Amino acid sequence: MMHLRIPIYTLAVSILGTIFSMTPAQAEDRDSHWAFSAPTRTALPEVDSSWGRNPIDQFVMSKLKENQLKPATEADRITLLRRLSLDLTGLPPTLDEIALVEKDGSDDWYSKLVDRLLDSPHYGERWARHWLDSAQYADSDGFEKDKPRDVSSWRDWVINAFNADMPYDQFVIEQIAGDMLPNATQDQQVATGFLRNSMINEEGGIDPEQFRMEAMFNRMDIIGRSVLGLTVNCAQCHDHKYDPISHADYFRMFAFLNNAHEAMITVYSNQEQTFADQLEELIAQQENELKSQHPDWQSRMREWEETIGTMPEPKWSVLDLEFDDSSAGGQKFLLQEDGSYLAQGYSPARNQTKMTTTTDLKRITAVRLELLADQNLPRGGPGRSIYGTNALSEFALRYSTEGVAVKSYDKWKAVKIASAISDSNPPQRIMGPEFPLRDPKERLIGPVALAIDGNMDTAWTTNVDPGRRNQARYAIFRLEKPLKITDNMELLVRPSQNHGGWNNNENQNNNMGRFRISVTDSEQLPEVAVPYQVKAAIALPETERSASDEKVIFDYWRTTVLDYRSFNTAIDALWAAYPNGTTQLVYQERSMPRVTRVLDRGDFLSPLDEVKPGTPDFMHAMKVEGNPSRLDFAQWLVSPESPTTARTMVNRVWQQYFGRGLVETSDDFGTQGEMPSHPELLDWLSLEFIENGWSLKDLTRLIVHSATYRQSSAVTQEQLALDPKNRLLERGARFRVEGEIVRDIALSASGLLTPTVGGRSVYPPAPAYLFLPPASYGTKTWNVDTGPNRYRRGLYTFRFRSVQFPALQSFDAPSGDAPCTRRDVSNSPLQALTTLNETLFMECAAALASETILHGGRSDQERIAYAFRRCATRAPKAKDNQILLEFIEKQRERIQAGELKPEDIVPEIIAKDTEVAKDDLALWTLASRVMLNMDETIVRQ
Amino acid sequence: MPTVDEFGEQYKGNTIARRWFLQQCGVGLGATALNALMGPNVSAASTDPLAPKKPHFAPKAKKVIYLFMAGAPSQLEMLDHKPELQKFDGTLPPSSLLKEYRAAFINPNSTLLGPQFKFNQHGQSGAMISELLPHTASIADDITIVNSMVTDAFNHAPAQILMNTGSQQFGRPSMGSWATYGLGSENKDLPSFVVFSSGAKGPSGGAANWSSGYLPTVHEGVLFRSQGDPVLYLSNPDGIDAQAQRDTLNAVNELNREQLGIMGDPDIATRINSFELAFRMQTSAPDLMDISQEPQHILDLYGAKPGESSFANNCLLARRLIERDVRFVQLYHEAWDQHGNLKKGLEKNCKDTDQACAALVKDLKQRGLLDDTIVIWGGEFGRTPMVQGDGADGRDHHPNAFSMWMAGGGFKGGMTYGQSDELGFNAVDKKVHVHDLHATVLNQLGFDHERFTYKFQGLDARLTGVEEAYVIRDLLA
Repeated sequence: MMHLRIPIYTLAVSILGTIFSMTPAQAEDRDSHWAFSAPTRTALPEVDSSWGRNPIDQFVMSKLKENQLKPATEADRITLLRRLSLDLTGLPPTLDEIALVEKDGSDDWYSKLVDRLLDSPHYGERWARHWLDSAQYADSDGFEKDKPRDVSSWRDWVINAFNADMPYDQFVIEQIAGDMLPNATQDQQVATGFLRNSMINEEGGIDPEQFRMEAMFNRMDIIGRSVLGLTVNCAQCHDHKYDPISHADYFRMFAFLNNAHEAMITVYSNQEQTFADQLEELIAQQENELKSQHPDWQSRMREWEETIGTMPEPKWSVLDLEFDDSSAGGQKFLLQEDGSYLAQGYSPARNQTKMTTTTDLKRITAVRLELLADQNLPRGGPGRSIYGTNALSEFALRYSTEGVAVKSYDKWKAVKIASAISDSNPPQRIMGPEFPLRDPKERLIGPVALAIDGNMDTAWTTNVDPGRRNQARYAIFRLEKPLKITDNMELLVRPSQNHGGWNNNENQNNNMGRFRISVTDSEQLPEVAVPYQVKAAIALPETERSASDEKVIFDYWRTTVLDYRSFNTAIDALWAAYPNGTTQLVYQERSMPRVTRVLDRGDFLSPLDEVKPGTPDFMHAMKVEGNPSRLDFAQWLVSPESPTTARTMVNRVWQQYFGRGLVETSDDFGTQGEMPSHPELLDWLSLEFIENGWSLKDLTRLIVHSATYRQSSAVTQEQLALDPKNRLLERGARFRVEGEIVRDIALSASGLLTPTVGGRSVYPPAPAYLFLPPASYGTKTWNVDTGPNRYRRGLYTFRFRSVQFPALQSFDAPSGDAPCTRRDVSNSPLQALTTLNETLFMECAAALASETILHGGRSDQERIAYAFRRCATRAPKAKDNQILLEFIEKQRERIQAGELKPEDIVPEIIAKDTEVAKDDLALWTLASRVMLNMDETIVRQ
Repeated sequence: MPTVDEFGEQYKGNTIARRWFLQQCGVGLGATALNALMGPNVSAASTDPLAPKKPHFAPKAKKVIYLFMAGAPSQLEMLDHKPELQKFDGTLPPSSLLKEYRAAFINPNSTLLGPQFKFNQHGQSGAMISELLPHTASIADDITIVNSMVTDAFNHAPAQILMNTGSQQFGRPSMGSWATYGLGSENKDLPSFVVFSSGAKGPSGGAANWSSGYLPTVHEGVLFRSQGDPVLYLSNPDGIDAQAQRDTLNAVNELNREQLGIMGDPDIATRINSFELAFRMQTSAPDLMDISQEPQHILDLYGAKPGESSFANNCLLARRLIERDVRFVQLYHEAWDQHGNLKKGLEKNCKDTDQACAALVKDLKQRGLLDDTIVIWGGEFGRTPMVQGDGADGRDHHPNAFSMWMAGGGFKGGMTYGQSDELGFNAVDKKVHVHDLHATVLNQLGFDHERFTYKFQGLDARLTGVEEAYVIRDLLA
């Protein structure tokens, strides 16, 4: 069999010449590299041929003629229906859709089909997944902790953007600088989640700046490969070896991105937002009602303001803290300009970090703990919990004059705290299940008194209510008697934070996020803790106050008036109903710019010269005067003059429909990338794309209407030998669909699919041990969905970076460790084991069986035809029928003989919901399993 | 490897064209034939990426077992004997050492902690090994101890990723993936790169530690479970017996052959092959995992117990995999992060691993497998000579000096290589960087690490990265 040296060998050699001419041009002058000048329109090639449906085909035909090849015939209607459905929506056509197309006698059936598919909400899902790959999306942080993160809002933004056919230039601008657009909407802020798909390291003992830099490098890589189609990251450590991107160019582009907070915002769904608006209206009504019932409110308020003005204002001395390594356990506290500390990196679920300090005061009468808001904290802080809040179980102050070691805490002398006041005093309540303990016990959170009650199970919390919790708060702890400060006296502050959960590797901490600790020697201490913003508003002369200043004063003042209790209670109840919203990691521009320096060899510890934001000279110019911003950078990226941006995206769209791009290295258009197989076609498409307002749907329409796209994918041995990769496009493409779609096909064919678009990521069945040590570093939560979410599209499956979802991993779904613009298409035994034996595939087989028996007719043949079409779209041929009939006959005998047990075969979750007789259901489960496992079922051809 | 004849047996109703595809397109010998036809520079999508391949030069080793002691064991209590450190116990380290030194948890200016266990000389070579490792001591003449390892990272996840992929950045191929990419697989019934995990936690970098990175995904390590189904979805679903599974496969494959005849796509032939391989894996993998087949004296040698999940069992399984020509086996045992509880923690970990590590080397040796199998033992970095923790019973992460050992595969047994300074702070003599270790292992597998590359983002990317890396010839026999 090794001697099949048929004559095609000689032919192959001549064609290989053509293909080899597409390999990188090593000697090419890199400044004249084809992809570094903007696309140009060339005249459509004159082709003497009746073949072809649009200009694409002229380019393709011209190349085919050069190589003395002919295009393949057009694929049949059913094949085209399936091809289009899978390409445009990632779902196979349903039986109704098949019937619709079969019956359609009109000439424009194809265009109608394309339009219908482009209008489907599943179009956005299919294309979102590709964009998610290139942005390296995942639902967890990565690194050791790999904690779950909620980034589904960004994922949904992408789906919606594709569905709305948002122009690609706008699509990119919003993702890179949506927050900087005038009056940025919530959606535009969410869009910047694109830049937050980088990993976050919260391993104990990390240097947060090191991993902020890693994330920055990653962003550059993602933008380079996904948007620019350039390997800019090659210039991270030194000048690019091949492309004209210097080391300084790299950091000039880096500088655009280097000036942002890594924020986590609260995101409200439309429904939540409407509800929140209604609540705020009801609150306003209550306030108006209060005012009309108490017409003297204003004069009373002014009187009260006077008393605030005369309240004692102690002078506070901010403490420089030293954090004890041992009890900090690898947390990092970054000193801020205002003397506060921002906790970053590791956040243990519970801790008692000891902080030591000294003071120049001669005595101290009180300690103030300020908890400050910060954009780098969850929901803006002030805490690090999932709500951006914290709980302080106990607050302790000790001192030593004898140089006692910090570890000998008991030898430090305790200072008795007499009382505490705070502007956060929510009513005492039982803490929720978000902070679970291994041995559950009731823990309370509430007013500041709980921080000094000597009880570690009760805590003072900033978690007031969902609408008002994310703001700065403070507490003042008054000492029972003044502490006289002597020489050599060291102070030790120990905030006990015992109200987190048990799992350090999930989001269960309840820690302070940004805090400042001060002391005073003042005898005169305030009796109540008036919120800072109220004090600030009162300090303004009445004539200079805005309406919102007045509202701030009123909102607080009314709570101090006993007569208003019923109103206050009603308003608190309304606030308590405020929606939690979900969260989204976003990018927010800082007001204080960071200085960006070139980093020697990309090492953040080796900064060199400062650089200003800018772009490489070989690319199109950025026409901005002065200091260009990240928004300018975003606009520059998608300028029609960009030599690579349109080409990169056009090429990827082509790639998704043909299995390969016109440029095979779809993330590298540089001098080391592959040359395009059809350079004029790529340019022509790119210019069409730009001129059609960057419409991706129009681009798809154009491509799928070509005769090139509509070719049959059957291949002959000659073609295979001549052009194994089909780079000359003399046939249609045939490839196994992406891992998510492998599942989607099974779900869709079986009728189990829950077609809901968007929402939180879901937890389909997976082996529990994967999420527990020692398979996983820490214990991860994977509560298998049993309702409709069990059967959502693969796109929505929750993705941990460190523990990949097996049924997707075996089908080459990327892990989210790096941007991926083109997936591998492997073909392995583990894939066969998955589709044969995995839980969900088996449920699909049983569900398809149930559907087939109920709706597929009575005879075996009818039923085969029914199930077969649901899997493969086409009708079975005689031989297919024969194979399946023989299989069914044999299994029927085995069931009847009692060799196979129907009740074992059919998964209970399916059996319980169907009326079908068990024997029949089992038999057709076996038959359905065969059809779901056909190559054709998971292939687009 | 399946032969064409095996397929012929199950193949009915063939035509010449179909036979041509079956033979030519990725099934059995077909891949090789297709390569021969197309010439070496054109690889059709269908050629078997796991076909055995020849390296650059004649290899000393063909297989690797990597015992990854995740969490980073303390070299100062195990393999790097530092009597001077004892003298300075309780004193601060010289400030010259701390210049630009970054520690993960501690203030670097913490007092030194003397070695907590005694060392003795062992074997003909007189290797200094601590009392924690009596079994490792018994193979002193078979192993090469390196006391001058250095790495660039001092946090677990980045350091583990670096140790496996040569880069702190995620998304790069691991050494096991490089090995199977370069050498292919000689066992078609089992994955060519197998991973086990035992201990208190999983590895810090998770699946990225055995990632195929930018190499084709077939080179990704496959995480085996040491109990139950080793490979996910290996067992038939409930109610499906072997016969029903075989019937299903036959039907699926026949339907696929029909399509192959019509569409001519060699990927269909590969799919047929994959289903057959899967079916064979369903038998071969449980057989592999059944350590109750082992005689009692072998179980005793390792301290393995059938039915349990343990590092010892995994070591025995590693040998069984190597016997079956699996290319790369990696065992993670994550338990070594002794920030505190140093003494008891090390005692426990050594009890859990020492015997099995030594047994593995002895067992491979007695079976003649050690000659072409490299055994690597070590963590992602070392531990500080300085103390950590209130109880003076812990050490922090330390990248500047740590110990590893290798055995077999052409490594020179009975040698202790390289030195750290007298406090064990910096490797000072014959430093071995992680990249050098990689270069040396690749060398033993027959690869010049500078030429063993994969085109990625326009670069000839390699395991050893862009910095200079050296094959440490002195380590080699």
